[in-house]
Amino acid sequence: MSPMSDIDKLRNQYGGIVLSMSVALESGDEAVFCDALDKVVRLREKNLFVELRRLTDGLQGALERFTLDSRLVDLAEKEMPDARHRLDHVLKLTDEAAHKTMDLVEQSVPIANRTAKSAADLLVSWKQFRAREIAVEDFKKMLGHMDAFLEVTKGDTESLRQNLSEVLMTQGYQDITGQIIRGVMKLVAELETTLGELVHLASDGASKSEKTGPQRARGYGPAVPGVDHGPAVSGQQDVDSLLSGLGL
Amino acid sequence: MSKDMKFLVVDDFSTMRRIIKNLLHDLGYANVAEADDGNTALPMLLQGDYDFLITDWNMPGMPGLDLLKAVRADAKLKGMPVLMLTAESKREQIVEAAQAGVNGYVIKPFTAVTLKEKLDKILESRK
Repeated sequence: MSPMSDIDKLRNQYGGIVLSMSVALESGDEAVFCDALDKVVRLREKNLFVELRRLTDGLQGALERFTLDSRLVDLAEKEMPDARHRLDHVLKLTDEAAHKTMDLVEQSVPIANRTAKSAADLLVSWKQFRAREIAVEDFKKMLGHMDAFLEVTKGDTESLRQNLSEVLMTQGYQDITGQIIRGVMKLVAELETTLGELVHLASDGASKSEKTGPQRARGYGPAVPGVDHGPAVSGQQDVDSLLSGLGL
Repeated sequence: MSKDMKFLVVDDFSTMRRIIKNLLHDLGYANVAEADDGNTALPMLLQGDYDFLITDWNMPGMPGLDLLKAVRADAKLKGMPVLMLTAESKREQIVEAAQAGVNGYVIKPFTAVTLKEKLDKILESRK
């Protein structure tokens, strides 16, 4: 049996009613005509309701999926505010590192100046001595200055070395902040994907986004105060005692 | 072990590699090579005659923990001293690194003194 065409379906559904309407019209039977017309309207309404129900169900499903997509809820309620705190922490770390570097430079400049000035003062007497133009008293004074200069410079250069070493260590902020920024970039990328999925939600149905959070083997990145909770160590001493507890 | 020891420093941040390299130079170790993750480091370790590995944990490509496991699983490399120098500070991670056979664990940010202490301690224990 061949499938019914659309016009055949319409003929089946409405043929009888239209015929009775036509007969009623011919015979002038108003009541029968109106009754048949009502039947036509009801049939059309029924189709409309079926279509409306389908649309409502679709919308309902989309809304449910939207509410149930916990990853999206997670992103909006927890991870985005966390990301803000993480970026705040980056600001704080860069600020501290910049100030610490400048503090160390400001401490070092006067030391270098003092060394240069003392050397320049000594050089005057030294040149007189080399030219054999120095008085005995001045020579004795020069020796005293020389002793003091060597002593002070020994300490000063050690301070300079320490300050430079501190400046070097302070640059470690770039690693820490870089790791935090990378984490936030990953989150933004995930948010972009999830929002993209949301756009297609009603038409395609939601495809659950995989949580792309950091895996344990890959590492979690630096701990950010106020954001990262959980059993983290508080410093190197804590690490050392934990490891010695493990026999290391 | 002498000051001629050959170090491999593995970290994805070039600034951190530079810092560690400088600190090692200050301590008298001039023979220091660099790699930016485990995938780059492992072939270097297998081909070169390195004496000491300092590695970060969180790196793109092969992370430090996997590198440590690969080192311990290799017949030629398994005895190499490995110091983990990382911002990863969760207790479970430190325990995991210890179980994987790490010789020392320093968390970032660290001080020059801490690095020296841990290096000395590892080298001392191997005498």
